[in-house]
Amino acid sequence: MDFREYWQETLAEMARYPARPELQTIPLRSTVFATLYGVRLTGVGPYRLFGYLSIPTGAGPFPAIYYAPKYQSVLEIIPQGTANLQRSRYITFSLAGRGQRNADTPYAAMFPGLLTDGIDDAAAYVFRSVVADSVRGLEFLLTRRELDPARVVVVGNDLALITGALTSGATHVMTAPALFYRTVELAPKTQAYPLEEVNDYLRTFPGRADAVRRTLAYFDLRAFAPKVAATTLLMAGAPGSLLDAQALKPLVDGLPGRTTVHESEQSTYRDGLYAERWIAAQCGIDDVRSILPEHWRD
Amino acid sequence: MPKAVSADYQCSVRKPHDFDTFWQDVLRQAAAIPLDIEVVPDRLRTSDDIEVFEVFYTSLDRVRVAAWYCRPARRAERSPAIMFLPGYQMDPPIPKEWARKGYNALSLAPRGKLRSMRHFNPGYPNLLTHNIVDRHTYSYRGFYVDTWRGIDVLLSRPEVDGARIGVAGSSQGGGLVVTTAAMRPEVRAAAAGVPYLCGFMDAIELTHTYPYEEINDYLRQHPEQRGEVEDTLGYFDGINFADKIACPIIVNIGLQDNVCPPETGYALFDRIGSADKQLYPYDGHGHDGGRARHGAIIDRFFAQHLLSASAR
Repeated sequence: MDFREYWQETLAEMARYPARPELQTIPLRSTVFATLYGVRLTGVGPYRLFGYLSIPTGAGPFPAIYYAPKYQSVLEIIPQGTANLQRSRYITFSLAGRGQRNADTPYAAMFPGLLTDGIDDAAAYVFRSVVADSVRGLEFLLTRRELDPARVVVVGNDLALITGALTSGATHVMTAPALFYRTVELAPKTQAYPLEEVNDYLRTFPGRADAVRRTLAYFDLRAFAPKVAATTLLMAGAPGSLLDAQALKPLVDGLPGRTTVHESEQSTYRDGLYAERWIAAQCGIDDVRSILPEHWRD
Repeated sequence: MPKAVSADYQCSVRKPHDFDTFWQDVLRQAAAIPLDIEVVPDRLRTSDDIEVFEVFYTSLDRVRVAAWYCRPARRAERSPAIMFLPGYQMDPPIPKEWARKGYNALSLAPRGKLRSMRHFNPGYPNLLTHNIVDRHTYSYRGFYVDTWRGIDVLLSRPEVDGARIGVAGSSQGGGLVVTTAAMRPEVRAAAAGVPYLCGFMDAIELTHTYPYEEINDYLRQHPEQRGEVEDTLGYFDGINFADKIACPIIVNIGLQDNVCPPETGYALFDRIGSADKQLYPYDGHGHDGGRARHGAIIDRFFAQHLLSASAR
């Protein structure tokens, strides 16, 4: 099966199951400026997923930030360290892919562990479903009447880019590749997780190397890149690191839309401020200072 | 650049008069519970140079706690160890890189974390405010004990030199380094990064980001319970443990930290009792706490205190 067929089949399988979203207000996390909902919705499988949806108070339409599933067990409402006031200006939706907390029944993922779960069989590889989950999350967000469809930012690791490629509706993508860029070639060059999971797996099961390579070919970001129409911010590693701007150049060259590359300055303050300002500028928010964390304000 | 943070920040933390009695009582309860340690080889994660194990032990309230344990495949009969304490929402890492540096390395998943959530699982967000009005059932009562008992796990290992044990961690891990170094005299060197769990009530005024924002959420819903919340947190504030620390300790903070306000880092450092203490404030850095530069300092610190000939 080629790349296009693999993903067509995946999305067609997901389409068999309507999302059937179910929203419940969470008063504890709601404020005068935003209401928070817990959202349950169905993904491929069928499998019931969970997300946090925050809607600003007032008349929309609002720009939206979709936080695609992260590579960790915990699902955050908004990323740790983000000013809660972000929720006053953007709709935010964060999704737990299958296996993450709140979406861990019946499948509870391990970290490390998720990256190689079923990796020797492209049809059964867990990330095939996790990608579909991420797509389903964006599809749900796009149905919200409060949303401004001209300002929809997908934020995350590799899944942000993949979701932007497989779904129309993302106007902007902010992606920090970590899992699926030349994985088989790059993993042996590091001993750090999550890529070390692949090293662990291939050391234990060397006979499955070809199967792993075949599976990962369906997930390589370079194959998705031509399908990303959104304006993209690519967060690269610091110069000299495994995924620095130079290493990611083939990916950047493959992205057809307007693309900006930010090389990490090895400071969560500097990198975070750059990202916050970029998103605000793309969404026409000119007073970004008011929604920055206190210690980042000039 | 943002305005400079004052190093002379005056924190509002006050130590409860029965602080020591409270914790002595908790430790007495914990001491009655056998550790019941189980060490299971993890063949998938083990390589020629590093042996990896899953570890499980019993803690307060008989909660079963998980950990990763790594040791160099080729090692001296008795070698130093470092215990790693996790951030608030991170999944505890497998500390292979520290085993490669010659240490036996234990990475804990205290109650509520992935692999330690069968008996206790308030969730994230929620851990920070779980039973926050009652110090006797507050989430961090057991959570702290879980980390202190990690030292007992290390002491039980024949390959660990019990006179050369260090603790390290960042964010929540940094706060737990403070409480562990304070309560376990076996700790000979401590490295605390961007410490969380310090100056709670100041932090919720200084910043409005999660996880501290969980407390603001709670107080918005239950303003009448502010007194009880403050009372409970007094027993768990790292700043109130700090005067007990006697071992060498280094602390790094980011002056633009959007998660753990640097003001609370300064306040903590001021209260640390050890004569051998060093603060590393990193301007232009957030919750990373200058990790890219500071990593080498941590390496040298532990090498000096745990690996060198004089440490033996």
